[in-house]
Amino acid sequence: MKPLTIVGLLTSILLLAVAFYAEEDLPAFGDENSAVNKAIKLFTIDADANLVAALNAGTLPEEIKNKIYDLGFIKGPTCEGCQNENYPTLEEGNYKIEYIEEGTWLGGRLYTVGGWDVLINNGEIFYDEPQQYYFITESDGKLSVSRYNWPVRVTERTEEETAMINAVTSGLADYRGYDTMGEETVILTGALGVILLMRRRGKL
Amino acid sequence: MTTQKREYKRDVIIEVSTNLLFPLILLFGLYVMIGTGGTGGGFQGGTILASAFILYITVFGHEKGREKMPESVNAFFKSFGLFLYNGAGWICVLFSLATIQWLNMPAFWPVTDFVGVAGSRSFLVGYMVSVGIGLTVMASFVSQYFDLAWKEEEEMGGNEE
Repeated sequence: MKPLTIVGLLTSILLLAVAFYAEEDLPAFGDENSAVNKAIKLFTIDADANLVAALNAGTLPEEIKNKIYDLGFIKGPTCEGCQNENYPTLEEGNYKIEYIEEGTWLGGRLYTVGGWDVLINNGEIFYDEPQQYYFITESDGKLSVSRYNWPVRVTERTEEETAMINAVTSGLADYRGYDTMGEETVILTGALGVILLMRRRGKL
Repeated sequence: MTTQKREYKRDVIIEVSTNLLFPLILLFGLYVMIGTGGTGGGFQGGTILASAFILYITVFGHEKGREKMPESVNAFFKSFGLFLYNGAGWICVLFSLATIQWLNMPAFWPVTDFVGVAGSRSFLVGYMVSVGIGLTVMASFVSQYFDLAWKEEEEMGGNEE
């Protein structure tokens, strides 16, 4: 056996071991804390029997609605005749509330905590089916309201999660790191291709 | 400064202004490449750095450009940038630092007590990753320009063996 073969075998075994080691730490598919499924907590209010009863009956109480509006998620179209772009309204009939029990799989996500899912259908211009927008859980006499949305996570949690001031850099190099790795490799491969094609006759 | 014989006429204005602009463009490129907290990033900074070398090669020719950017340095930068980027990723995978989001896990890092998790993460994202991208982009563009310029010089018969 050649020495090179032995070195190659040892390197492969080492890489395999590293891959197994890293695989243990990978978040499971459907983990609620993975990047795609993470819901951003917006605020908490004191739980009230009336609030819980209203949620169970399928209506969003005015207190929660007003707090959501106060955070800047707009109520409706900002001008006459223009369409509401990103934040559907929470008027009656636009949404429906479903209670989801602990431990159910839904939409590629495992719910480790039970709660009320607010699905919005009317007013959402990008999707036909009802979309999950808000998630309300009850614990210790408090109702905490979270929101599923990628832009909300980027704007709210970028500095905390990546320690970068610049959200664009965190998106480029942190959240989508594999994408950037591929781009860089493409550039290097292009340069190598030019070298192989153009340097045939010349000296280095 | 050594004077070389050239087939074309020397243009003093272009050469002097290039000599003046060359370090300034390099400085601006470094500012864009490293200042990822504010301005640019690796791709843009690397392109600006490469533009400085391309200007130099265009004005002073192939051989003087080789003195500024030797082939060995170019090849080293080209692969070292990718190595830096992937190395940052591997560090995060190995220590579960989750900087590059290659893993989405709570941070664990041996020097956490000294550096602080946030500091080390921003250092990795802001400097290692961006400088790695910038070096690869710069060296790749400069190398492509060298190769293309080489062929033209050969066709004109300026560098026959």
